[in-house]
Amino acid sequence: MELFLQTLIDGLLIGGLIIVVGIGFSLCFGVMHIVDFAVGEWVMVGAYTGFIFVKYFGHDPMTYLPIIFLIFCALGWLIYPLIYRAVSGKRHNPVLMGLVFTFGLSILAKGGALSVWGYHIQSISTWLSGKSLDVVVATVPALRFAGFVFGILVTLFFMLFLYKTKFGVIIRATAQDRDTASLLGVDVRRVGGLVYSLYAGMTGMSGILIGALFSIHAAMGAKYSTLAFFVVVLAGMGYVPGVIIAALVLGLLQSFVGVYIGGRYTLVALFMVMYGVLLITPKGILRRGI
Amino acid sequence: MAEKLNRRLGLPIALLIVCLILPFFLSPLWIRITTEVLMWAALAQSWNIIGGYTGYLSFGHGAFFGLGAYVTGILMVHLGWPFGIGLLASGILAALLALVIGYPTLRLRGAYFAIATWAFGEMIRQIAIILEITGGAFGMQLPSYLNLPFFYYLMLGITALTYLTTHILLERARFGLKLLAIREQEEAAEMVGVDTVSIKMEAFALSAFFPGVIGGINAYWVTYIHPDSVLGAQLTDFMVVMAFLGGIGSLWGPFLGAVLVQLVQRVLWLVWGEGTFYLVIIGGAICAVVLFIPNGLIGLMEARIFSPREALGQWRKAIKW
Repeated sequence: MELFLQTLIDGLLIGGLIIVVGIGFSLCFGVMHIVDFAVGEWVMVGAYTGFIFVKYFGHDPMTYLPIIFLIFCALGWLIYPLIYRAVSGKRHNPVLMGLVFTFGLSILAKGGALSVWGYHIQSISTWLSGKSLDVVVATVPALRFAGFVFGILVTLFFMLFLYKTKFGVIIRATAQDRDTASLLGVDVRRVGGLVYSLYAGMTGMSGILIGALFSIHAAMGAKYSTLAFFVVVLAGMGYVPGVIIAALVLGLLQSFVGVYIGGRYTLVALFMVMYGVLLITPKGILRRGI
Repeated sequence: MAEKLNRRLGLPIALLIVCLILPFFLSPLWIRITTEVLMWAALAQSWNIIGGYTGYLSFGHGAFFGLGAYVTGILMVHLGWPFGIGLLASGILAALLALVIGYPTLRLRGAYFAIATWAFGEMIRQIAIILEITGGAFGMQLPSYLNLPFFYYLMLGITALTYLTTHILLERARFGLKLLAIREQEEAAEMVGVDTVSIKMEAFALSAFFPGVIGGINAYWVTYIHPDSVLGAQLTDFMVVMAFLGGIGSLWGPFLGAVLVQLVQRVLWLVWGEGTFYLVIIGGAICAVVLFIPNGLIGLMEARIFSPREALGQWRKAIKW
């Protein structure tokens, strides 16, 4: 029973952090119909940026969260015109162009990180590292708990932004129907840029916590791309609220398969579920995707 | 120009003759490199059958290559079967697997199909890591056979077969037209009587058969196979990249892309040693191709001229907000 509760809590905590990676990614697909293959690479670059800041300026990695968010928003804002160009215009297969372009970006980022830092595994530690909280039945590493809280807070702000502000209404309208939204005076291109830069900011920012929780290396992107894809497929591509449930399911699946069946089966289980969901219900488990 | 290239037989025959006599002039190292180039040309072309001509982006094509490698390996090591039968079995099993998974998966389109095939490919890799018979994460050792020209000519044969099949089936026969119809407008194709479900499955099986056979040849050639080397994501990635750089949906595009990418990669490797910087160059090249020449190098040749001023103007337009 204790093992069960511990596994449950571990799963939920990891899931909470993954929401941040999945939520912007999902919105990106909803608004621009872009599947960003480079999602894991944003996490990786975010983690390395945090690593550099800590190395050269000291302080706790957590203090850099807002700065990293702004830096990555700016990066996303700068890259977006290129992505927009790749998927629009006289291309007869925009989906392919978007996939291949972001795929090129991900190779570029991975190759750059490998060239600069090589295959070494780096780590950053925060003031919470090594501490743990004792809940009645289970021990919770403090950093994991912080990651979870961070995930929930960011998600909360994001949802408030999406559902309570005028910008949010515009974004949701664009996601529902691009053509009608643009007829009503929405600059679809700029909305896309806003969404992409928010997505880049959130994903890059989550990189620090992910880097502090696990480890930082140049090839880590693939893992988080896998998780983000899993979450978005399960949630229904483009359906933002579903991401919260899907990320928690992902966390639980990972920790339960890892504990009760064996660590080497977790990835097989993830890919099987993902493939199965796409075949059986391509719109996600809630059937709300686009 | 691409049209002319496709119609004329002079170029492929000349190319074939050059390839046939090439090993007599090359050092063993360069024979190895040329064999690799041929292998990638065939792989990129077989991806092109489903990805380029049919418009279904398979991001899990490496699975068929790995399956072929493991089938040949298991048949030769555990059952002691001859290499030839292993190859045949590899190709047939890969095509059968494509038929089986193609039936449910090909109902998905666009990004959904791409993600589903990607998940499938990764699943196969994870299964190969877990299973006992594949040697798990430690990999598998095949009997070694050190005969470079043998593998060179074998690879040349399968590459030629891939191109011949594409040339006859996709550029000349009605089958190719049906695939193009599916790519351009699937509903319309179905309306005018194309049996889209079975045509798509046939194309998928055809594009899986060649990677299966090539995987088998590669396994016997390198003699040591491992889930990361024969099922890794980089296999699919490079198939897509090469086909894309050269120009998808064309007969010579993947060939051009494969020769360019593989040669550049190997030359950089010879110059810089075991570096990773070539990834930056390749990644940048992919992005540039998508932005400026979405039809690939073949498309560039079609446009015939390339003016620097126009390219500069396009770049300005691209980065402008």
